[in-house]
Amino acid sequence: MSTDPQPPSTAAQAAGGAGPLDAFLHALRRRTEAAPRPTPLPDQSNTALRAVRPAEELVARFAAEAIAAGCVVHRVTEANWLATVKDIVASLSARLVLVQPQSGTALTAERAAALGNALGTAGCSAVSKWDDDTLFNCDAAVTGIVAAIAETGTLVCVSGPAVARGASLIPPVHIALLDRTQIVGDLFDYFDRLASTGLPANINLITGPSKTADIEGILITGVHGPGVVHVLLLE
Amino acid sequence: MSLARDLRARIAAATTDRRVVNAVHLAAWRKVDARAESFAKLPHVEALRDKAAQIRQHVIENLPRYLECFVARATALGAQVHFAPDGVAACRIIAQIAAARSLSLAVKGKSMTSEEIGLNAALEAAGVRVVETDLGEFIVQIDHDRPSHIITPIIHKDRRQVARAMARELGCPYTEDPAELTQIARRHLRDIFRRCDLGITGVNLGVAETGTLCLITNEGNGRMTITRPRVHVALLGIDKIVPRLTDLPVFLKLLARSSTGQPMGAYTTLINGPKRPDDPDGPGELHVVLLDNGRSDILTGPLREVLRCVRCGACLNACPAYRNIGGHAYSSVYPGPIGSLLSPLLYGHAYDDLARVSSLCGACRLACPVQIDIPELLVRLRALASARQPRAKRALLRLWQWAMQNPWAYRLGQRLMRWFLPDDGDGWTRHGPGLLRAWTDTRDLPCPAVRSFRSIWENELRDEH
Ligand code: SF4
Repeated sequence: MSTDPQPPSTAAQAAGGAGPLDAFLHALRRRTEAAPRPTPLPDQSNTALRAVRPAEELVARFAAEAIAAGCVVHRVTEANWLATVKDIVASLSARLVLVQPQSGTALTAERAAALGNALGTAGCSAVSKWDDDTLFNCDAAVTGIVAAIAETGTLVCVSGPAVARGASLIPPVHIALLDRTQIVGDLFDYFDRLASTGLPANINLITGPSKTADIEGILITGVHGPGVVHVLLLE
Repeated sequence: MSLARDLRARIAAATTDRRVVNAVHLAAWRKVDARAESFAKLPHVEALRDKAAQIRQHVIENLPRYLECFVARATALGAQVHFAPDGVAACRIIAQIAAARSLSLAVKGKSMTSEEIGLNAALEAAGVRVVETDLGEFIVQIDHDRPSHIITPIIHKDRRQVARAMARELGCPYTEDPAELTQIARRHLRDIFRRCDLGITGVNLGVAETGTLCLITNEGNGRMTITRPRVHVALLGIDKIVPRLTDLPVFLKLLARSSTGQPMGAYTTLINGPKRPDDPDGPGELHVVLLDNGRSDILTGPLREVLRCVRCGACLNACPAYRNIGGHAYSSVYPGPIGSLLSPLLYGHAYDDLARVSSLCGACRLACPVQIDIPELLVRLRALASARQPRAKRALLRLWQWAMQNPWAYRLGQRLMRWFLPDDGDGWTRHGPGLLRAWTDTRDLPCPAVRSFRSIWENELRDEH
C-alpha cells in the first residue's frame, strides 16, 4: 500500500451522484488552500511502538489477556478438543448448537463434521444454518477464528461466504476454536498483515464477552452479544 | 437573562441533587483510575500519543485530499456516500433513505453526532420509529432524559432511577438489580433487533486509503445494528478520518484505554462496504452520510486543532469542573472540556460562556490521547468571545490589561486591593465590595500581603542574588 494515499483522479466520477459532495470538496480545497500545513504525515511503520514480546510468550500472554478480558480459555489438543466442546455443551444443557466452519480457521469442514457427529451422539443437534430462527434460538455457536492478538486477548472473526456475522454475536454462548499458530503479538502485527490482504466486508475484533457498565459503573456481561466466550486453544 | 446568570443558574440547577453530583464524581474518578492503570501497562504511551496527535493534525491540515480519497474508496466498496452541509440536511437525507425504501423501524448505536443533529426527533417526525440500543442511551430515551457524558450517558443516574424508568415504560416487575435490569433491556431489544429494517450508527474513524469504517462498542448493540437491518446508515463527521489502515491501531491502542481503561472495547468492527453477494447476513445497502455542520468553519478558523478529537471522553473524567457540576450544566450535547470548546464552535455564541467553565488546570490536556492543548484553546476562545462582551465589561478588561502592562499602575492597584479586600481576621477575605462580591461569594481569597513581593525583592532579596 502507498505510504501517503493520494486521491485517485477518478474520485469525482466514482462519487457518482454526490454532486453536493463534489461542490463541497471543491470549496473546502479553495478555503483551506492558504492555511499553513506544517505537520507531515508520520512514518507508516509502527515497529518502534510495538509491545515487544518474544514469540515463545505469545500463547501464554494471549491466554492471560483473554482471561483478563472475561473469556474462558481451554488449552486443548487434537485428541481432546471434541470432548471439551461436548463438556461445555453438556454443562449448558444445550439442545441446539450452531457449528460454522470457515476456511482459513481451525474449524475446518472436517472438524465441523466430526463435531456434529460428536454432539449428535450426546443428544444435541448441531446445525450449520444461519436463518434467524437458528441464530436467535440456538444455545451456543461454535466458530473458527482467523487470528488472535496476544497483547489484548482479542479474537478476530471475519465475514465471508457461508459465514454469518451473527454467529459470534447473537447466540448467548460463543465457542471459538483457535490454532496457536494464529496468535500474533499486538494490534500492529495484525494490521500489517491485514493491510497486505484483501478486506472482507466485516471484520470483528472481539475482546471478551459483551459487556456494559452503564448502571452505576457495575460490570455486567451479556448485554446484546454473548455473555460467555469459550476459547479453545489448539496446541 | 444575561448569559452569565444563565450559566450560573444552570450550574446551580444541575448541582442541587447531591446524589447526582456524588454519583458523577465517583464514576468519573473510577474512570480516571482505570485509565491510569491501563496506560501504565501500555508500552510507548507517549510515543503513541505523539503519533496519534500528529496523524490527526496532519489530516485536518490536509482534509480535502483525504476526504476525496475516502469517498472514492468507500464508493468503490459499494457504499453510497452522501454529503450533508448541516444537521437539517443530514436528517433529511436519512429520512429520505428510509422513506424511499419504506423502512419504518430504525435501531441506533450510540452516536454523539446523531445527538448533535437531533436525528431521533427528525426521524420520528418523518414516521420512522427510532430505538436506541446502547443500554445507557436506551434508558435516556425511555426516561425522556438527556445524556450527560459522551461515553457513559447515564453517569448521572443511579439504579433506582433506572429501575423506575424501566418498570414504568416497559411494564416489567420493579427490580434494582443491574444484572436483571440489563437482561430486561436485552429481551426487549432482541425482539426489536429481529424486526428492524434500518440501522443507524456513528463512526469512530474512517480510513481514507481503504474506505473502511471503524466502529467500537462494548455491548454488541453496535454490531447488532450493523448486522440485522437490511440498510445501514453511518453518520460520519468530516473530521473523523485517518489516512491509512495501519494508522488505525495507533488509535485503537489509545481509545478504549482512554475511555474506560479497557485494553480494547469488546467489539471493534471494521466495515468495508455492504455485504458481499455470498455473505449470508449483513446489510445489503451501506450509506455514509458525511456531516459538515460547522466543522469546515472550525477547520478554517484559529482553533482547528480541536478537530483532532476522537471523542474518547477522557477529558470529561479528568476535569474537576465536570466532576463537580456534571454534564447537564453545560446544556450541550458535548459537555466537559471538549464540550466547552466544541459547543460554541458548533452551536454559536450562545455557548461562549462555557469557555469559562474551567480553571485551566491542564488535566484535560494530560489525559487527551491526541494531545489537544485544551486550556490554550479555551484561553483563545475566551479572547475571541471577549469582543462580544458588554461594553462596560470590555472597558474593565482593557483597564486590567493596561494596568498589568504598567508597573506603576500595577503597584497602585496592589495598594488599592489591600483596601478593597479587608482581612477577615484570619488572613482570608470573603466579602469583596461592589462588583467583586459576586466573585468572593463563591471563593475565599487570601488577603493581599501587607508587603508585596516586589517591595521585598527590591529592598532585600535583590542584593542577595
Ligand atoms: S478532547 Fe481529547 S480527551 Fe477530550 S474527548 Fe477529545 S480526544 Fe478525548
